[in-house]
Amino acid sequence: MTDATPPPQVVNPLSAGPDSTLLPQPCVLVIFGAAGDLSWRKLLPAVYNLNADGVLPANFAVVGFGIGAEGDPEEWFRARARSGIEKFSRRPIDEAHGADFARCLFYVSGSFNDSRAYQQLKAKLEAVDAQFGIPGARVYYLSIPPTMVQPAVDALKANGLVSSPEEQHAFTRVIVEKPIGRDLESAEAVNRCVANSFAESQTYRIDHYLGKETVQNLMVLRFANSIFEPLWNQKYIDHVQITVSEEEGLTQYDPATNEPTASRIGYYEGVGALRDMVQNHMLQVLCLTAMEPPYSLGADVIRDSKLAVLKCLRPFDENALEHSVVRAQYIEGEIHGHPVPSYRHEVVDFDSRHNIPIPNGTTTETFVAMRVFIDNWRWAGVPFYLRTGKRLPKRASEIAIQFKAVPNILFNQNQNVPLEPTVLSIRVQPEEGLSLRLASKLPGPKVRIYPVKLEFNYSSLFGGESPEAYERLILDVMAGDPTLFMRRDAVEAAWEFVMPVLNHWEHSRSRFLPQYQAGTWGPLEADRLIENDGRSWRPL
Amino acid sequence: MIDATAPVDVPLSAVDRQLTEGLRELHDPTSAPMYRARMSNLVIYCDDESHLQEVEASIPQIVSVHPARVFLLVANDSSSSNDVRATVQVRRAGAGSRMAAEQVTLRGGPHGADHLPFAVRALLIGDLPTNVWWASRTPPPFAGPVLDDLCESAQQLIYDSLGWADPHRGMAATSAWLSRFEREGEGGRWRVASDLNWRRLKYWLRLISQELSPAVHPGALDTISEVLIEHGPHAVTQAWQIGAWLASRLDWKIQATKFKKGSEIGFQFERPEHGTVRLRLDRLEEGAAEIRRVKIACAACGELGSLDFTSTGDGRLAVQPEEAGAEPRTLSEPAQSLVEMVAKQLSDREPDNIFREMVKAAHVLVQASIH
Repeated sequence: MTDATPPPQVVNPLSAGPDSTLLPQPCVLVIFGAAGDLSWRKLLPAVYNLNADGVLPANFAVVGFGIGAEGDPEEWFRARARSGIEKFSRRPIDEAHGADFARCLFYVSGSFNDSRAYQQLKAKLEAVDAQFGIPGARVYYLSIPPTMVQPAVDALKANGLVSSPEEQHAFTRVIVEKPIGRDLESAEAVNRCVANSFAESQTYRIDHYLGKETVQNLMVLRFANSIFEPLWNQKYIDHVQITVSEEEGLTQYDPATNEPTASRIGYYEGVGALRDMVQNHMLQVLCLTAMEPPYSLGADVIRDSKLAVLKCLRPFDENALEHSVVRAQYIEGEIHGHPVPSYRHEVVDFDSRHNIPIPNGTTTETFVAMRVFIDNWRWAGVPFYLRTGKRLPKRASEIAIQFKAVPNILFNQNQNVPLEPTVLSIRVQPEEGLSLRLASKLPGPKVRIYPVKLEFNYSSLFGGESPEAYERLILDVMAGDPTLFMRRDAVEAAWEFVMPVLNHWEHSRSRFLPQYQAGTWGPLEADRLIENDGRSWRPL
Repeated sequence: MIDATAPVDVPLSAVDRQLTEGLRELHDPTSAPMYRARMSNLVIYCDDESHLQEVEASIPQIVSVHPARVFLLVANDSSSSNDVRATVQVRRAGAGSRMAAEQVTLRGGPHGADHLPFAVRALLIGDLPTNVWWASRTPPPFAGPVLDDLCESAQQLIYDSLGWADPHRGMAATSAWLSRFEREGEGGRWRVASDLNWRRLKYWLRLISQELSPAVHPGALDTISEVLIEHGPHAVTQAWQIGAWLASRLDWKIQATKFKKGSEIGFQFERPEHGTVRLRLDRLEEGAAEIRRVKIACAACGELGSLDFTSTGDGRLAVQPEEAGAEPRTLSEPAQSLVEMVAKQLSDREPDNIFREMVKAAHVLVQASIH
């Protein structure tokens, strides 16, 4: 186990609220790459919402850092924040709050490679500390390309911008965005270089999926309800399906002109669905679904339980690589009745617009399906089917626990029309909630069994709006709670698991890459993967 | 599509049937079926019919945040009979929602208060938590057996000390009542009491706590020499609660009390290590029922000075430090209507030890001020 225990909280007898409340501590949030898309769409609206909710400390400010500002950098940053909030915030902007929020936004222009820029950043941070009574505490959010992580963390350390991990008031924490590397070797290199500047207890590897309410509710569902845990094993569960389906492709088009408006091809080409989704989000969700009960809610205790799942994943051998993993790429098709181009077309279009030499072809997968096994006592023999893809018919993510069928007696005698098995489905998006499919008798003199669904929907039942995942996660970093963040050993264990697949694909580049029409649920090969086991993908 | 059924008077024995009928009535045949959404039983006790009407207007907002089977109770009905009369209504938990919330109004007649808990008991949904909102202006310690009976199977009692006619008497009685009322334990028999007035202070306490924190102003907590709390004429309990909170959290021991000009009460405390602290509660002549200002004299960052906390009046609290060039530090104080606070309090059932300690300290302060 890596030592990632955060330092003890600052003792303040006035800390209001119940004992279990972790309060965010005064600090400056420094956003690297603050001119970028993530900052605009997610981070600044998240911080604004936290501010308007009265959750952020009064001693708090945001300093943007990077290139891309125009004119007066601070005015530009404030205007940029405002437009992001207006467009993406879950709550509309309030003029009084907006003005007060803008007061604590600052910007330092500079390149991540330029030592002078870090000196300017340091001077700005000290000035902001004095203005807002901040005790020198920093949260660095690295919303930057992976290649820039090393120069950024090295420069932070070299310029005296990283405090000791034991420091309580003037703490330093760093948030590292995915992808952490593009394979095991590069992930280890990223982790090493971050570790040169920051202790593990100061490092927060973010996976926004883990901030979603339903994902957090997984542990509550399992360990706060006595009916599930006794059934949560190979004796009662037939299989588990984890699906992350997206209708979006890698390029956004203006519906009127059909001109591209935004593209992720630059990031995605050569990365693919396995690295983008499976290695991080899906394996993390798999861990929460399959882990043993932790003995406490301590951050490292939970993270140890998750790591144990990754360690028990059955490695892919040659046979499994051929029969348990399917990759594919979308070709042209239709989404919501609108024709959409193939992935290959999007790559060619992107490359030609950016004067990049156009390759002969692309073998980047936009769809992955796989069958994995967890070789431990609880899950022996239970397949976990994972599938994720772009340009599927709809945006939907869920974890479905399918229980074993009842014996073929009593109500399940007719083998031509077997009873639908009980399924517990946990929806992560778009409507967070869960449902339980049960068999029920239809009213009437005859015994007719029909499946019924008991539904629980977060937004309908609890009312109001759930905070965005980034809100929760930023708050956790400010409070020093790493529970929902990936530890170094878990990131590397996840890479270790997917490496045989990546290597296999790498060595068979010229071989057949299945295709699927945009707007369908993936290639036939994916259907065969599960149907060969006598099962089928759940319709979503 | 209708958002609520018309209220229907039914015998007590027919309430459940009528609720089911109401659900059917709400269902629009052209759209998906309606669901009952019930996170808890919410029993609301009102002083009289006009108070009931006032509270009833807030039900849609409460159930949109916390869907519940709502029981509205009033004892002093104008009818001559002491029998409990039931009126049933079903409404969507928000416009266009597929979730339906149920409301049962129970009127007890001039001497019917004693019958109300019996009527409610039969209609509670057994598997759900029961919350009692004591909307009455009578402080719970003086409510008598009707409150005890209503709370028999409740997990939470919500009350509001804001409207108490004699806040000193109410606060003096709360400590003993609270230790009798609250219970811990197994078998689902635990019970907590929550004062909405305490909830109102959440953002004040947060800002004071942050600014006095050793991280922000080292040494400030140990050097507090004077606290002035200015409050609107009807925010007496809030002021006492902040004072009692500081005293209980910082372990101040009361030494002396002095009165000054009727509107101000002054206390002197001894700090744990050494030194004394003066606490002044100043009731302003006019203004809303809220805290207006908290001024704390202390040695922040080694220099004697004060931290001046005020309400900016536009949804924020501010503190202006005395250091040169320092920006005011602000904290959003989201508007909290009574209804919103009730709705949020319903799912906030964690025992609050800080509240309990504050109530005990408030009791000591009130006793000291009386003797």
